[in-house]
Amino acid sequence: MRAKYLKPAILVSIYIGISLSSGNALAQNADASQLYKRGLAATCANCHGTNGKGVVDGGMPLINYLTSEQMLAQLKAFKSGAREGTIMPQLAKGYSDEQLEIIANQLGKK
Amino acid sequence: MDRRHFIGNSAAALGLLAGFSGPARANLQKAEILVIGGGYGGATAAKYLRLFSDNTARVTLIEPNASFVSCPLSNLVVGGSRTLAELTSSYDSLSKRHGIKMIQDSVTSIDPDKKTVKLASGKTLRYDKAIVSPGVALMMNSIEGLAQANKAGVTLQAWKAGPETVALHKQLAAMRDGGTFAISIPEAPYRCPPGPYERACQVANYLKQNKPKSKVLILDANQDVTSKGALFKKVWAEQYPGMVEYLPKYNVTAVDAKTKTIKFEVQDDIKADVLNLLPAMSAGEIAVKTGLANSNGRWVNVNYLNFESTAQKDIHVLGDSIQVAPAMPKSGHMANQHAKVAAAAIVAELSGWEVNPAPVLTNTCYSFVNNKEVIHVASVHQYNAAEKTFKAVPGSGGLSPAPSTLEGIYAWGWAHNIWADSLG
Repeated sequence: MRAKYLKPAILVSIYIGISLSSGNALAQNADASQLYKRGLAATCANCHGTNGKGVVDGGMPLINYLTSEQMLAQLKAFKSGAREGTIMPQLAKGYSDEQLEIIANQLGKK
Repeated sequence: MDRRHFIGNSAAALGLLAGFSGPARANLQKAEILVIGGGYGGATAAKYLRLFSDNTARVTLIEPNASFVSCPLSNLVVGGSRTLAELTSSYDSLSKRHGIKMIQDSVTSIDPDKKTVKLASGKTLRYDKAIVSPGVALMMNSIEGLAQANKAGVTLQAWKAGPETVALHKQLAAMRDGGTFAISIPEAPYRCPPGPYERACQVANYLKQNKPKSKVLILDANQDVTSKGALFKKVWAEQYPGMVEYLPKYNVTAVDAKTKTIKFEVQDDIKADVLNLLPAMSAGEIAVKTGLANSNGRWVNVNYLNFESTAQKDIHVLGDSIQVAPAMPKSGHMANQHAKVAAAAIVAELSGWEVNPAPVLTNTCYSFVNNKEVIHVASVHQYNAAEKTFKAVPGSGGLSPAPSTLEGIYAWGWAHNIWADSLG
């Protein structure tokens, strides 16, 4: 019985501890990290549309029919020079592989 | 009883949790965010503040014009191959689709201490966060006689797309065959580095077809062409031989409206039939007036992590008005990118989170060398924490190898997409 009585108290102190420091920060970090990822993917939106939804028949190649895997493969091909292009080979070289992966995960067809 | 204790204590603990995470997000929902200026920077900032806050931030956009007119591509209107209507977009989606409060008015003053903004209509608005994106101001007094010549309609600038853009084409259309069009360029930095050279191409393209005996004079205060130099020079030599003349280190000091004479710091006077004199530029008037232009009194220094002015807390400045990091051009594309970094940072800050420590910017700039062919310059800029600035990534970015009609199609694709991204 005594142990059972103590348990919640321990739990409370853990909750308080979490809420004051790491736990809340962790929750916030997950949200903040998602925001950073959206921000990174938004660097593509000028040419390829908000959230990757480009203007249909606008003149710019559409990207939102690609899965994340397909998109990442294309981005890496632009970066390595395996795929030729006008602007994309030049822009892809400015992003790290990790950043390209985040972008592909954000903008790829779900 | 034990169970009750457990539930009670857990509830208290949950309450504490809510208590510590609640107010942070409440700050985001309560904050009054005013965006001043609805160009590429301001419109994008307003939209992305709503997107990044999952439509919880309260955003008001103040813009004097009823609709958005794009500066990029407006040289095609000067050259007569396109109309201003094709470059005009509505602000309606920002209010109807994104829930942004639109106010069609001008800001006459900002009080950073009281955190208020005064409008031309007389209203005063309070803000918790202000985003100032007023573009550039043309320093008409930097060329003697320019203000009067502009008022008289003798010289037009047409560096903010609108009625002057259309009027400049009309002046070209009225010019005699064999006449001279002269464009002068101030020392960098100025809005849109390749813009004046693109304009020279557009004017030459028009004259070649309509008044082939005419001349285009480019009077550049800079040492050399400031953007896409080799490409532009090749175009002038190959597509407009004998028509376009490029004169570097020609710094205009005065203009005589009566005789249409241009005076220089060093060289002899030059007369022309159509004068397009671009004066030195500074941050937009409201930014200068508010004391934000703390870089040489002309441009606004910002913290590149959130684009907050270094002169005033809670005022974030975007676009052409800022003091740029090296290799960062003053362009509409860049302003759109500044806006997204600033919007994400403001949402993070008001949520009680750290701002993104590693933001990224890109730039893409297309220039039409005739009515179909285009050349580009592109770059990627990563934040460098040690130097607290953006740096172009070595090995990335670059230029077109040559003008192409494919890039002409992409240029329009860029325009339709950035208009939709900023306003749609």
